[in-house]
Amino acid sequence: MPAAIRNLRSNPHFLFVRLPKLLSLLCIVVGVAWLLLLPLNEYSRRTYISENALLPGQVHAYFTGSEQNIFRGYKKELEGILNDETKDRAEVTAGYVSRGGHAEQLLILDRVSDKVQSIFEEAGLKFARQKYEYNSAGITHQGENSYAIIHAPRGDATEAIVLVAPWLTADDKLNLNGVTLALTLARYFKRWSLWSKDIIFLITPDSKTGTQAWIDAYHDMHPASVQPLPLKSGALQGALVIEYPLEHRFQTLHIVYDGVNGQLPNLDLFNTAVSIAGGQMGIGANLQEMWNHDDSYENRLQTMVRGMTKQGLGYATGAHSSFMPYHIDAITLQTKGEGWEDEMALGRTIESLCRSLNNLLEHLHQSFFFYLLMQSNRFVSIGTYLPSAMLLAGNFTIMAIALWMRTGYYPETKSVQTKGEKAPAEEKAKTSNIAERKLALPLSLVVGLHLLGLVPLWVFNNVSHQYFTTITFVVLGVDIILPLSLAAILSNGLGLSKPLIPQQYHLIKSFSLLLLGLSLSTLATLNFSLSFMIGLLCTPLSFMTRLQGAAPARLATSGLGLALLNLLSPPTVLLGVCWYTGVSVETVLTEAAFGWDVWGMWTQVVVWCVWWPAWLIGGVLLGSSIF
Amino acid sequence: MALLSRFLQAFALLLLAIAVSAEHTSNWAVLVSTSRFWFNYRHLANVLSLYRTVKRLGIPDSQIILMLPDDMACNPRNAFPGTVYSNADRAVDLYGDNIEVDYRGYEVTVENFIRLLTDRLDEDVPRSKRLGSDSGSNVLVYMTGHGGDQFLKFQDAEEIGAWDLAHAFEQMWEKKRYHELLFMIDTCQANTMYTHFYSPNIIATGSSEIDQSSYSHHADNDVGVAVIDRWTYYVLEFLETQVTSVTSKLNLGDLFDSYDESKIHSQPGVRWDLFTGQEQEGRLRTVVDFFGNVQNVEVENANATEPGSLKEDLAEIARLVEKWQKRDEEYADVLARNDTDESHSSSLHLKPKSKVGPTKMTEDGSWGKRLVGLAVVGVCSAIWIAGSVLGRKSG
Repeated sequence: MPAAIRNLRSNPHFLFVRLPKLLSLLCIVVGVAWLLLLPLNEYSRRTYISENALLPGQVHAYFTGSEQNIFRGYKKELEGILNDETKDRAEVTAGYVSRGGHAEQLLILDRVSDKVQSIFEEAGLKFARQKYEYNSAGITHQGENSYAIIHAPRGDATEAIVLVAPWLTADDKLNLNGVTLALTLARYFKRWSLWSKDIIFLITPDSKTGTQAWIDAYHDMHPASVQPLPLKSGALQGALVIEYPLEHRFQTLHIVYDGVNGQLPNLDLFNTAVSIAGGQMGIGANLQEMWNHDDSYENRLQTMVRGMTKQGLGYATGAHSSFMPYHIDAITLQTKGEGWEDEMALGRTIESLCRSLNNLLEHLHQSFFFYLLMQSNRFVSIGTYLPSAMLLAGNFTIMAIALWMRTGYYPETKSVQTKGEKAPAEEKAKTSNIAERKLALPLSLVVGLHLLGLVPLWVFNNVSHQYFTTITFVVLGVDIILPLSLAAILSNGLGLSKPLIPQQYHLIKSFSLLLLGLSLSTLATLNFSLSFMIGLLCTPLSFMTRLQGAAPARLATSGLGLALLNLLSPPTVLLGVCWYTGVSVETVLTEAAFGWDVWGMWTQVVVWCVWWPAWLIGGVLLGSSIF
Repeated sequence: MALLSRFLQAFALLLLAIAVSAEHTSNWAVLVSTSRFWFNYRHLANVLSLYRTVKRLGIPDSQIILMLPDDMACNPRNAFPGTVYSNADRAVDLYGDNIEVDYRGYEVTVENFIRLLTDRLDEDVPRSKRLGSDSGSNVLVYMTGHGGDQFLKFQDAEEIGAWDLAHAFEQMWEKKRYHELLFMIDTCQANTMYTHFYSPNIIATGSSEIDQSSYSHHADNDVGVAVIDRWTYYVLEFLETQVTSVTSKLNLGDLFDSYDESKIHSQPGVRWDLFTGQEQEGRLRTVVDFFGNVQNVEVENANATEPGSLKEDLAEIARLVEKWQKRDEEYADVLARNDTDESHSSSLHLKPKSKVGPTKMTEDGSWGKRLVGLAVVGVCSAIWIAGSVLGRKSG
């Protein structure tokens, strides 16, 4: 046995060519298997409330009875104005949803805002408004936030909780009940004297732009097109978004928690909401649109994968998402299904949640910020799931280091091709020679291609939305042509330079994979899901190499390889996913551009400056075997 | 004359009898909550409930040291401003209008607590912040908060250990600051806190064994927090329903027998072994011996011989005086002898001590030291030169 190991150690072909491949493959397999193990009971944990101060569900919620009459009154008033202004509500929402390329006319008209103001002011709250405008992908989004503040009667105005009711929900449905509930709660909360924090009621025109404009301005980070806030309170400790777009009683609460760039609110907030909804109020709580979760392995895995997809794409899933970058924990409560629960039950849930948040002595910090939920009461924390993405990222690094070491030996190709045929002593003498690495061209190629990624990044975030589909196909074309032409230039020189030697191909691959591994392992700590998704899509790149051998077989293999590789290119994946989900490419890219411009979403950067260059280099390496 | 002397003898006998029955002359209570923050409402309510009980049984505010680290009554989260209740029925406002908090907020620290017990306090500390107990005082120490194995947390910042507490009580004993002491503690793993006590005349009781939590009794759904702990709740229930007046004859045995583990949800503990007369004697102490106030007056008794009595003190002082006198005489003897033998042994006894003071570093032998230094440097450089020359040759 020791002899066998010694033989393997003195065999450079095994050490530098086969072992890294085996290790990389092992990393990938273990990384994926790791993720699949997480939903098991042995690897996931039950949720629990870490923060002692929260005391969820310990208070009696009194929001019932006569408050319901107030709710109905407010609702009738608002409904009247809405109907007057716009004979048909559907028309308005439809008008908002269709993006005609013009400035969007938001439904919130001045008269409605005036009504909201008069209701808030009658209840004794301070009221203010904020106009804003965003431009993205040739579309102008404009609107006006209205908000009101209850100053804590015995508090010190250094902290605040936010209740958000957007006029349009995340699914662009009219949230009349939600807004009315917020107004009723404002009147009701005003009469309590037990608030230790101010409570801010924020009515935004929609779920995408309103909260972003408001929260940016709250922290004085707003662009010029957004008005500053005339009225402020203390540091925000938490935010709840109310969505009740239904016209009937609801069955369960759907808790949405994903933030921009995969940031998550503190798990304690989610747990408190689940505990209050489920435990105190007897309303079921769902997550990730899993309506019939039977706690089976499949359902847990599905919930987790849905969560990872949202986290990986990094877009805002609701009005709460905009709070996350400012380290304000926020969730959206959506009413779903047809059942027995009415707006009063939702109101009591929010009352109880507010009382819990009111109990906080400091920012939510006890529980996890990095977690994957697989059921409303089961999760895995970062320590358990992180190795999965780290192993995927590690596979690239292992390969890169192996290639770097391999290029240091001389003469590299001979020792590979004639392994075992020569006497070991002779081979040893050869391998001990250190070859000079020709770094200039590989380095400039890798850096150049990574910089090239800035071009699509700029284009996709700056052109008007109607060109998105065309540009996607252009990039698709570039993906086919660019690797082949680069390969041709590099292999033949085309009179510009000497043809590349094998060492340089290895160096190109080494640098590319090194960067990929580095970026992905760093990203894994910030946005695990995105890192895992990109890592998984890039796994073939570890094994891309310049093929040797007889011409026909080589050409056939590399041609087929290139075709398969093109199936995994960023634009093809985008088109494939859009085709599969039935969403138009333009919508996705418009949303992405909006995310970049308004939410500060970084997904595109990872796609165009990490994934795309690495993919291109894989294509170049495979393509070079044709020439 | 003979009549008078006989009368005096009888009076002395009477006093002796009183002293032997070991009655105390005052009652003191130290009531400590060690946790702050709204969600620990119950700990302050525990202490305030006990405060109310000892006041009801007659201990005046001047003899109660109340330590409250937080102000629940004025917390903005309190739905009933200005009040603290220890029961969801909210029948009795514990904060009332007659309450004297002696240590509040960040004054409640381990240091202040130990200084209070051992009376290591500055002269300017007011009487309200002092434990003025003496060798005739029965002291009740009640503590509540968050604790663990042999520690009790103070305000999220520090903790008092079981040994700290044991040593503090020993110092109290040595400084004659108590006659008998009842220590009560309601916290998780409470019984570990009194395991290290070693001073006499202490009865200790706690709410839970090692590795056991102490639980809250119930929550008030309007206040929104738990309002009292289980063990304290049932102790209070006994005190409030059974010990209705200072004349109550119920004893500590009755109190400790009333513990019901099925209600308390943890195993309360009692420690008797430090008490004179162990359990039999300890059980007979009435509850009001510690929770009530006694008006007994002790006239100093010339014949008493127990520790702390005047007679013992005088005897001790006499012994010391005797010892010092003897020492002085011996010293005088030695001096006298020196005077006679001065001619040949003066140098031995009266030799002036060598002057101790700053001395110059380079006073003597400075040149010698310099030479040694130079030699060392020379040798080193010679080795270095030789080494480099040799190295070049072989290279």
